[in-house]
Amino acid sequence: MSALTFELKDTPDQRLDLSPLVPAVLAGLSRKEIEALTINTTRTKLTVGDAFKIKGKDAERLHFVGTDDRCDKIGAALAGGEILVDGDAGMLLGTKMKRGKIAVTGSASVLMGASMSGGEISVRRNVGDQAGGVAVGETMGMKGGFISIGGDAGALLGERLRRGIIVVGGKAGDYAGARMIAGTLVLKHGAGRCAGYGNRRGSLIFLEKPRNILPTYSDCGVMEFDYLRLLDKWLREQGVRIRFGARARRLMGDMAVLGKGEMLILA
Amino acid sequence: MPELKVKGVTIIETFAEAFPMVATRVVITAPTLEWALISARTMTGFATSVIACGAEAGIERTLSRKETPDGRPGVAVLLFTMDAGKIQTQLRNRVGQCVLTSPGSACYAGLEGEKKLKLGASLRFFGDGWQVSKVIGGRRYWRIPVMGGEFVCEDTTGLTKKAVGGGNLLVLGKSHAAVLAACSRAVKAMSEMPDVITPFPGGIVRSGSKVGSQYKGQIASTNDAYCPSLKGAVKSDLPLDIEAVLEIVIDGLSADAISDAMYAGIHAIARGGAREGVTHITAGNYGGNLGPHHFHLKEIVG
Repeated sequence: MSALTFELKDTPDQRLDLSPLVPAVLAGLSRKEIEALTINTTRTKLTVGDAFKIKGKDAERLHFVGTDDRCDKIGAALAGGEILVDGDAGMLLGTKMKRGKIAVTGSASVLMGASMSGGEISVRRNVGDQAGGVAVGETMGMKGGFISIGGDAGALLGERLRRGIIVVGGKAGDYAGARMIAGTLVLKHGAGRCAGYGNRRGSLIFLEKPRNILPTYSDCGVMEFDYLRLLDKWLREQGVRIRFGARARRLMGDMAVLGKGEMLILA
Repeated sequence: MPELKVKGVTIIETFAEAFPMVATRVVITAPTLEWALISARTMTGFATSVIACGAEAGIERTLSRKETPDGRPGVAVLLFTMDAGKIQTQLRNRVGQCVLTSPGSACYAGLEGEKKLKLGASLRFFGDGWQVSKVIGGRRYWRIPVMGGEFVCEDTTGLTKKAVGGGNLLVLGKSHAAVLAACSRAVKAMSEMPDVITPFPGGIVRSGSKVGSQYKGQIASTNDAYCPSLKGAVKSDLPLDIEAVLEIVIDGLSADAISDAMYAGIHAIARGGAREGVTHITAGNYGGNLGPHHFHLKEIVG
């Protein structure tokens, strides 16, 4: 069966709430029923049929084509299946998702993967602020799963991260890993100001020496970490183009809070 | 009934009687294969028989860098006991005293299993609050700070209740040298088989036992029916020209694994043929009333 495909007809004149377009909702619905689902975010009613041309059948594999940054909540609360976005994604991509896979060929906007608890999101280009951060009404950020970002990330990447791994191929913005509870950020080209601010037990792994390090991180020197070997091998198995070996400088912090977190700066 | 012979070596029509056991596998890695082996040998030391060692353990095989979670050389170790409570204690003590202490080591789960056994979940307390938990790909690992760096240990490993212990072969021959050479070949052949270990020294037991003894409190004693020096004095099972009997005991994760290993073992023993001095291959049993697993030599060779 071919993937159920939604092709955006025109630039929408309002933001779209695409949270109903997940396998759990679409399974068993007829083409007509799918077209009748409402996705408006203003008082002007808009249905799936108005905005998208639909092709294919397999509701376990969804394909969005030609989407832009106004297509919000793609794969929100996803509980299984695969979503491929050929284009950009709006805010809250894969927020609160539990299982499954989302791949975006373009960029994603703010709160991507916010408070997700499992599954995998990969975005080939850039993401907005608060990726893997805290969704509205939640107390914690990402709680599990894997996010891979090919380009740059905005501010507050992995804010209040609880568990899970986020890899950024480009540069992360300010306050990356702010108030992290635990979990792991892998930053290929560093971050902006105040990385790891308020970090309790999380790991920030820098492949390049970061320009600014908070004074509340204490240097533990350089040594070899088998943990890095484990992570390095796993990331490559996930198709992430990375190789970072095992030698790293460890800084523990943020000493302004619990101080059991760390920065591992590859040496 | 015609006698079954393989290259002139008589296969006695009998069966090995084996028992259900519980088992687990762990993977030990280290900076070099040599150090992974040192760690694994230490962990599996004094683990020949549950009679007095608490567990039976051995090295299943070595692992290449590609096969281990951290990309370093490794060793797969199998550990067997009679029940699930004992295996937990044995695993914790052996990994805690022999792997945690071994320079550069790391320890990972080697079995999915029906149930989970605590591995890092109990050893993490050695970290005294400085231990770090990391979840990678749905598996939890503990990083325990130690003087040599960090000991990485997976949170749990799997337990199987389908394991079988006590599969065995008895090899009879006209000289000790011939029987030892044949048994060494068999152990080598079995070491290449998956899911099995031969827990005794070098895989071979020279002092097979019978249940009970004439002394109070001695639960096992020498198998006099197979002692060549007692042939004339007891109800011996040995022909007069037998000079030595050695046994190979096999523990496996499944009955099939044992029977495949026995097949490989019998053929390796018989490879030298009767000319070398090995005359019989038989197996140990207790009349079939104690262990539910019966490995009939005739079926295995067939």
